[in-house]
Amino acid sequence: MNRFFRLLVSLLLVVIVIFNFTPAAWAFCGFYVAKADTKLYNKASQVVIARSGDRTVLTMANDFQGKVKDFAVVVPVPTLIKKEQVKVAPPKIVERLDAFSAPRLVEYFDPDPCAPVYNFSKALPAAPMGRAANRMDRKKDSSLGVTVEARFNVGEYDILILSAKESGGLETWLHRNGYKIPRGAKELLQPYIRSGMKFFVAKVNLDKFDESGQQFLRPLQISYQSAKFMLPIRLGMANAKTEQDLILYILSPKGQAEVTNYRTVKVPSNVNIPIFVKQEFGGFYKSMFEKTYIREDRKVAFLEYAWDMGSCDPCSDDPLNPEELEQAGVFWLNGNSNPPPISPRFRRPYPTSGVFITRLHVRYSRNKFPEDLMFQETSDRESFQGRYILQYPFTGELNCSAGREYQQSLFRRKEKEAQSLAQLTDWKIQDIRRRMK
Amino acid sequence: MLFKDIRDYQILFLACFLVLGIGTRDWTIHPEFIAVAIATCVITQLLLSLVSGKGLTSNIRSALITALGLSLLLRTDDWRTMAIAAFAAIGSKFIFQIDHKHFFNPANFGIISALSLTHNAWVSPGQWGEDWWYVLIFLGTGGLILNRIGRWDTTAAFLGAYSFLEAMRNMWLGWTWDVFFHRLSSGSLILFALFMITDPRSIPNSRTGRMIWAVAIAVLTFILRNYFFLPTAVFWALFILAPLTMLIDTIWSSPRFTWLKERKVINPLLQVQI
Repeated sequence: MNRFFRLLVSLLLVVIVIFNFTPAAWAFCGFYVAKADTKLYNKASQVVIARSGDRTVLTMANDFQGKVKDFAVVVPVPTLIKKEQVKVAPPKIVERLDAFSAPRLVEYFDPDPCAPVYNFSKALPAAPMGRAANRMDRKKDSSLGVTVEARFNVGEYDILILSAKESGGLETWLHRNGYKIPRGAKELLQPYIRSGMKFFVAKVNLDKFDESGQQFLRPLQISYQSAKFMLPIRLGMANAKTEQDLILYILSPKGQAEVTNYRTVKVPSNVNIPIFVKQEFGGFYKSMFEKTYIREDRKVAFLEYAWDMGSCDPCSDDPLNPEELEQAGVFWLNGNSNPPPISPRFRRPYPTSGVFITRLHVRYSRNKFPEDLMFQETSDRESFQGRYILQYPFTGELNCSAGREYQQSLFRRKEKEAQSLAQLTDWKIQDIRRRMK
Repeated sequence: MLFKDIRDYQILFLACFLVLGIGTRDWTIHPEFIAVAIATCVITQLLLSLVSGKGLTSNIRSALITALGLSLLLRTDDWRTMAIAAFAAIGSKFIFQIDHKHFFNPANFGIISALSLTHNAWVSPGQWGEDWWYVLIFLGTGGLILNRIGRWDTTAAFLGAYSFLEAMRNMWLGWTWDVFFHRLSSGSLILFALFMITDPRSIPNSRTGRMIWAVAIAVLTFILRNYFFLPTAVFWALFILAPLTMLIDTIWSSPRFTWLKERKVINPLLQVQI
């Protein structure tokens, strides 16, 4: 029952991590070899927010692994939502955004490079998956102060838009209609009701789902107009005991997005690390993230990627094309990607695609994130990526004096790499040195 | 003479915050933009002083404080935007004045000018995070300065009124109290309350006037933040209500603040010089 709310903004989880080793692509700035995408975390919700002006398109990836009939989700939304404002998005689109923006490992070779060996596949244990609430009765009960503002069907989902007067009424209504909501949810529903928010409730229509022949539930996409640029995370924490990972992809015509009520901090990046890390880049990134998260006292949002959609360097995946961007919710391109108006005096020296992506990684828990996430878009167009560098030494004969110097510098370099790795992760320096031999 | 003028302390503290912020926080701030802000502020101050016939003796300290305030609060990726903000900030002192008293806070005017006239300026309200350590440093040093210049009442009135409104809203919505504390413990808000609405030259002269003025700013900030969802609510509130200073001054008249008074106490000789 408590699982129901866990699915809120969320939808967790992934399980088996396979480092899909993408065919290597040459890029100007290093050789891309691996990425640390969301498959690393076994409780990662993914949300895409495309926003321009006060229009928002919110896409929630659906990683629900239980029986589809058990799936249900309740999301507070700032305005009433009509049928034409809800869509299902192709599941691939979130994967594409993830792959494009994931932290990456790149490699360089000292002159006369030796060939690297590729072999890695790594798996993490599967996480238990939750089930959601039950069937819903279509009865309206106005005595509870709950109004069904709209009821419609989109793709495989049956959707209700509820407005409520009192949290007790809404709680009772949800119970009566078969939604098992956790204890304590009533207190959490109240602030949303009082601040005039509505509730978007979705469950799966089994007939439609079977008809569609889909294997998995597709992401739900809601568009609305509101000055509120926020994401409700409190409901999802109703009874979560542990911290949860949220990966946010914010698409904007202007520039970087940031959190306004928590600090936004860049993940450590552009660090040279020992080459053995290539075999376990996923493990490295997880450990590094965990350590940075603790160092920042578990209360900041991390910036993992910020880049104009028009390019990438090095690329961990191709930039999204206009069709894919549209699927991700981008609505301001109008066929010919016109960047937003910039006065001639402030025209930028480089071309823009009209879409800037910000990838934020928020690991939140109840005691460190009491307030919902609020955002703002800025005109900051500085590029940033989580990028980790492998530098391969030259392994041929070294007979000249310059060669001996090189060898000595190599020793210092390796030690420095070991130190950086030990500093970034919780790996022991002795183990690192041993593995570097 | 260094540290004979109370503003030297202000300059020192603002500079410390800037160094602290750049060193320990993840700020997208470029040192060259700070240089641009300082240069533009000082040059504008000197030029406009000359033009307006005040001569070159006029205060570089105020210009420096404005430049540091801008560097702390305003973010941009173009040095020209910083220059525009700095120019507008100092310019506002010379243009928007009645009876030789300017009523816009220069740094605030600069920030609003950059936000509304250019496309590449922003303010990061979350940049300080909510560490109590910073809050304490802010409170301590701010208090020190305020005590010396006798304008702590605006800070108290502003923070008191704003906390009260937020507390009421928190209670009505039914959030737990940690939400309330989280909303108030923002470093940026405290920086604003201690250094921006306390500028004795641009705020009302009488204590009653100042209290009313500070409460009005708190109310407007609350409305803009919670009902219009403006992340930059405090700056807009101060900007919109700044002209009210003049009206308040005519209703509750009181001798105007002058830096000279302070100097007289510390070093009476300076008085002769200026």
